[in-house]
Amino acid sequence: MLAVLFILFAGMAVGCAISMVVQRHPLYSAISLIGVFISLACLYVTLAAPFIAAVQVIVYAGAIMVLVVFVIMLLSVEEEERRSMRLRSLVPIAIGLAAVFFAETAFIIFFVHKSPGTPTGNISDIGQTASIGAGLFTTYLLPFEVTSILLLMAVVGAITLARRGGLISAQVAVVPGHASYARETLNPRAYPDLTEVNADNSREAAALLGVADKTPARDHE
Amino acid sequence: MTPQLSWYLALSAVLFTIGVVGVMIKRNVISMFMCIELMLNAVNLTFVAFSSFFRDVTGQLFVFIVMTVAAAEAAVGLGIIIAIFRSRESLDVDDSSTLKL
Repeated sequence: MLAVLFILFAGMAVGCAISMVVQRHPLYSAISLIGVFISLACLYVTLAAPFIAAVQVIVYAGAIMVLVVFVIMLLSVEEEERRSMRLRSLVPIAIGLAAVFFAETAFIIFFVHKSPGTPTGNISDIGQTASIGAGLFTTYLLPFEVTSILLLMAVVGAITLARRGGLISAQVAVVPGHASYARETLNPRAYPDLTEVNADNSREAAALLGVADKTPARDHE
Repeated sequence: MTPQLSWYLALSAVLFTIGVVGVMIKRNVISMFMCIELMLNAVNLTFVAFSSFFRDVTGQLFVFIVMTVAAAEAAVGLGIIIAIFRSRESLDVDDSSTLKL
């Protein structure tokens, strides 16, 4: 029974993975990748790891792939066009390396058969949420805390990267005669005749240019 | 007939290799990013298989932390992709041959 499930979900995973590589539009690749994630979650269930299976569906198929699909939609990605193959001389090397890979896989299948394999599917508390939580908060508490620092760094990095204008700048770009705007709220390509002055905020910039500041006063940070 | 440990390891190797091939032949940054996610998942499958067959919960804790790293990588990586697209109007890696923005 478990073997049938394994073959079914392994076939689904490999098929979706190949489809992901073959597709030319990134959106179709993303949908195939979601198929891989779902099949892997089913395989985790057959391995008696229900918590990891649930986290796989929620975090990977949910959060990460939604983010990827958002970016694909946002950037209006077009299909990759076919191009002629370069580095044709590397094809024999690639075939040789593929042969080495198949030999290694065959060796592993042959070799690991002789190691003591305990059957899965028996009742055990290894994959349950309670045992994972106990391990996470006792033996592996330090990695857990380091992970939280990593997430904080990722949040700061993502915000810094996604800001228009890159790093935070106090400089202000001014449209002469009228109002003044902070540089990061302007698209520089839309206003080719901008005059730039070094100022900390709009009022200072207006004073430097000798124009009245029409923007309402705002507490600057 | 129950699945052996070697079955899971072979499946993981196949998925990892498909990911490597994808990173090499794809020219779109987002597609390459998704192939990297596929490789991370192949390694996760190995961890869970070993954890289940040797009755040790450590492998699943590793998977948990790998998933966190993947989420952080997705956030920062997609931010970088958006920044590249803003400055170059293209997602083709051949157009981004220098690190300068």
